Amino acid sequence: MNDDMNTDQFETKLREAARDYHRPPETPRQEMWAAIEAERRRRRATPHVVVLRPAWRWGIGMAAVLVLGIAIGRFVRPSGSHVPTTPAPVATGRSGDDIAYQVAAAQYLSRTETLLAGFRADARTGERLDPQFGAQARELLSSTRLLLDSPAGRNPRLKPLLEDLEVVLAQIVFLPASRDTTDVELINQGIDQRSVLTRLRTAMPAASGPAHAQGVI
Amino acid sequence: MDEPELISRVRAGEAAAERALYDAHVDRVYRLAYRLAGDDELARDFTQETFIRAFERLDTFRGESRLSTWLHAIATTVALNGLRKVKRFRSRETVLEAADGVAGGARLAEPDLKARLRDAIDALPRKYRAVVVMHDVEGYTHEEIAAALGVEVGTSKAQLSRARAKLRAALSDFAGEWVS
Repeated sequence: MNDDMNTDQFETKLREAARDYHRPPETPRQEMWAAIEAERRRRRATPHVVVLRPAWRWGIGMAAVLVLGIAIGRFVRPSGSHVPTTPAPVATGRSGDDIAYQVAAAQYLSRTETLLAGFRADARTGERLDPQFGAQARELLSSTRLLLDSPAGRNPRLKPLLEDLEVVLAQIVFLPASRDTTDVELINQGIDQRSVLTRLRTAMPAASGPAHAQGVI
Repeated sequence: MDEPELISRVRAGEAAAERALYDAHVDRVYRLAYRLAGDDELARDFTQETFIRAFERLDTFRGESRLSTWLHAIATTVALNGLRKVKRFRSRETVLEAADGVAGGARLAEPDLKARLRDAIDALPRKYRAVVVMHDVEGYTHEEIAAALGVEVGTSKAQLSRARAKLRAALSDFAGEWVS
């Protein structure tokens, strides 16, 4: 009972003392009203634009490419009830889905190559690495998983490359904040030992377009 | 002018009604924002954003609660989300203050108690702090707090009880003097 009384007294004192916690000044009502009116006028005059963080733009961009690829594939591939009676030209040898995933994979490989080349170049300077590498690697890591789960991941030459890229990108994502030169060196050694950049460049189609595509995809 | 009439005039776009609604509620909204933020500039930003959103969304107010309850729900959402964004800055500031405190040494004078209490409240988890500020500092009822934070009344009571226990523990060295 004594404990209860002490607790009550303590809490009464606490509440008294708490009244001074962040004691507000007089309300600046006129200034705030002017600011509210000005802001409402500004919002009415400005079209509503969603501003995305740079890292989100990457992710959304990659996801959009994949979704677009899938959509193109579905559109290009004939449905079961409308299978043409004439055989498809042998020369193309690729279904709509294949082309769609190739588009997505090509975008992905190009961005990953840019990231890894930039990472290696920055690492060579010995200066502090840009934290943006981590953010971009995180986005590409998500896309790697998506591609591995897509028909692109069943391509016997692309699959091992994607798996190696997954490891390298994960290493960059989880690079400690200190960005110790030893950690960076280990990542670069991994890239060299697996010939990741060379295989990446070999796998990428030539810039002339899908009709003259070279490489794995 | 009663509240339903005021609301319908604001919905009709009457500027004088907007100002009347603002005047009727701004003091309490600003006080709450200031108590939560502890900073005039942030409190102004939170208050302004609260009223801007309220005017934008007044059509969605169904009148199931009092307008003040609805406004305070917007205000707490705006303030707590805004404070989350400045949390990193705040935590750095707290570390600097704590470092200053170590150098000071002496304690137990009343100003020291207030500073310690402020630090202890600042250190509470976000929702506990909101409940303490609303109930013990600003005098809101548990029903008002529950409506503003979107929780059950029982949750508000439980959070206040846990928050007070944390404050008691943080200020335990003052307890002997207070109850003597």
